[in-house]
Amino acid sequence: MKEDWGKEAGNIIANWARKHSLWVLAYGTGCGAIELPPTMTSKYDAERFGLRGAATPRQADVLLISGYLAVKTLKRVIRTYEQMQAPKYVIGFGSCTINGGMYWDSYNTVKRLDDYLPVDVFINGCMPRPESVIDGIIGLQKLITEDKAYGWIKYQKNLDWYRANQKKVIKNWKMPDYNW
Amino acid sequence: MAGIIKQEKETTLYLGPQHPGITGNMMIELKVTGDTIQRGKTHVGYLHRGFEKLMEERLWMQCFPIVCRICVPEPDPNEENLARAIEELEGREVPERAKYIRVLVLEMSRLATYLLWMGGQSGSAGLYTMPQWTVGDRDYILDLFEELTGGRVYHMYIWAGGVRRDLPDGFKGRVLKVMDYLEERLVEYDRLLFENAIFLKRAIGVGVIDKEKAMEWGVVGPPLRGCGIAHDVRKDEPYEVYDKLDWELITHEGGDVYSRAMVRRKEIEQSISIIRQVLDKMPSGPVHNPGPNPLKWKVPSGEAYVRTESARGEFGYYVVSDGSLRPRRVHVRGPAYVHGVSLLERMLPGTNIADVSFIMNSLGTCPPEIER
Amino acid sequence: MSDELKQEQEITQIIHKTFKSAAVEIKRAGRLAVKLRSDLLPPFISYLKDYMQFKHLVMISGVDWIEENAFELVYHLYSYERKIHVMVKVRLDRNNPQMQTLLPFWDHAGTYEREIHEMLGIHFEGNPDLGEFILEDWDDIPPMRRDFKTVEYVNDLYEWREGREDRQDVRKTIAEQYDETIPDFDKEEK
Repeated sequence: MKEDWGKEAGNIIANWARKHSLWVLAYGTGCGAIELPPTMTSKYDAERFGLRGAATPRQADVLLISGYLAVKTLKRVIRTYEQMQAPKYVIGFGSCTINGGMYWDSYNTVKRLDDYLPVDVFINGCMPRPESVIDGIIGLQKLITEDKAYGWIKYQKNLDWYRANQKKVIKNWKMPDYNW
Repeated sequence: MAGIIKQEKETTLYLGPQHPGITGNMMIELKVTGDTIQRGKTHVGYLHRGFEKLMEERLWMQCFPIVCRICVPEPDPNEENLARAIEELEGREVPERAKYIRVLVLEMSRLATYLLWMGGQSGSAGLYTMPQWTVGDRDYILDLFEELTGGRVYHMYIWAGGVRRDLPDGFKGRVLKVMDYLEERLVEYDRLLFENAIFLKRAIGVGVIDKEKAMEWGVVGPPLRGCGIAHDVRKDEPYEVYDKLDWELITHEGGDVYSRAMVRRKEIEQSISIIRQVLDKMPSGPVHNPGPNPLKWKVPSGEAYVRTESARGEFGYYVVSDGSLRPRRVHVRGPAYVHGVSLLERMLPGTNIADVSFIMNSLGTCPPEIER
Repeated sequence: MSDELKQEQEITQIIHKTFKSAAVEIKRAGRLAVKLRSDLLPPFISYLKDYMQFKHLVMISGVDWIEENAFELVYHLYSYERKIHVMVKVRLDRNNPQMQTLLPFWDHAGTYEREIHEMLGIHFEGNPDLGEFILEDWDDIPPMRRDFKTVEYVNDLYEWREGREDRQDVRKTIAEQYDETIPDFDKEEK
């Protein structure tokens, strides 16, 4: 399917520009948000990679899901993700996005993040160190150079599958229907 | 100006899950006319994991790693509370050296939380240099924690019967070096934040708590001491070795954001002095009083209520056991439970929209422990 | 021994004079537990608050004793002057749990009651705010009850990721690497 996706995304110069200025939405959705301020300050300076915080979804490129997602937050995160402009990337941060982590038997948290949102990079750990966060960002940059990070196109093409999974967990679905 | 009828419309504003400054996710529904708030209603539940139900399904030993994640900025008082509750139910004694090490860990955690609070409070006022300084300085304390316990944020170091392992060689020298460095930095923080004209103008007279009504509204911790009322769990019900150390209780009159900030600022100096005394007076000996096989460990039946003073106020645990392998009921009382829901709704009418997250940071609201 | 617990014994006698059916137990220095009939609760709390300086409501907890077919509500009160903590315990019928609200005494009692209503299903008369507090669109039984099975609920609703294909036991690999044996956790200690 790679030939299909490559035509829409862009050429070498556009990818080079995108990977060197990734703006992260400043929304801490779970426990992992406590290791993000140390990543942005002077000891593990992430701003030298072009990373900075963005205040609104319209101005952000990367959605960093830091930790577990309660079902109430999942509803807001889906709406935020759909408001971001393409090209956009999702990073799953911590073990809770991979297989439920520490809260594997909790009735209110989501176990596999890529059933509900298209994830490009997973970062392992509980709590991942700031060096791991930077490692994840560099991994995402490598994927962008190699023309492999197309989460947003995957979401558009498989929208029915994602919607079915989301509606199974979120019982009262009162959200606008984006039809691109 | 006769003949002009002014009609002011009331709009609903949702101040969303993210806030400036470093608080958690909480939504406040405001009814505003112009820039003044008429009333507010808090909505919580964005970070609910169901801890109390999870703890009923796990063995007693498996509760310790999960209990630190209840309060994200300050995990150590949780482990201390659960360990002391189990020791009270079993009647187990803790060695002297372990008590001194527990006080050292609790005070270091209190320092780290106060530094993070300073960053959050000035970030919500728009002074963005302070978070860069204080969060960077907090990294030195987290490096000490990593050397002692193995983890930067979640330690899992204090458990029932003592602490997990002894101090490494040369640890005392490194701690004292960090304390000297922090005392020099306090002078810079004073000049930048606590004597800054912008901060004083925004903080004095804002978010006032009435002194007569403070106890009835359930206020605890630095907000209570900022009204001039002298209560602290470390003096009322001394635990570990706080009654053998030399320190004093700090209060400040006024009840507004400025007096709460000054209480926390002076408590930083108090914590540094306690850490120095603990390192001086520490005796030698074992650090753990071992119990039975952890996979077959049954705690005798009964109930216990244990309280600790964390950086935000009185932290309480109510533990009920029925003599089996798993706890019957563990109920956690976070200090921000009252401050974040009912006290905030009382203080909002009449303030500006820009002051809402400023007041939230000064009360110390932390949504992960409101909804666990 | 009786010198140290003087204040606790004094309080026990004062309570017994007015409320003869209350059963008071001194657990240790600074902790008292009182068992009470459920209709006597509002006058008892008002007596402790106004006449005996127990002005600080610490929290209200709910415990589910499903074997005895009862809910238990525990009201924790603390007095800053006397430095004593009292746990007032009340039992309710599990099929129809009802209680009076303490909202006129303390503002924040309303918050605790909202949470107990949502998590255990106990109804508090006089509290206007009982409704959704922490959970959103919940359609099952209240989750803190003992007959709510979490693992079955989770297996129904969420999907798991499969584990490693070779089903390797990591403990054995690491023990072989370091020439050690895995300790036997199944044997009983003496």
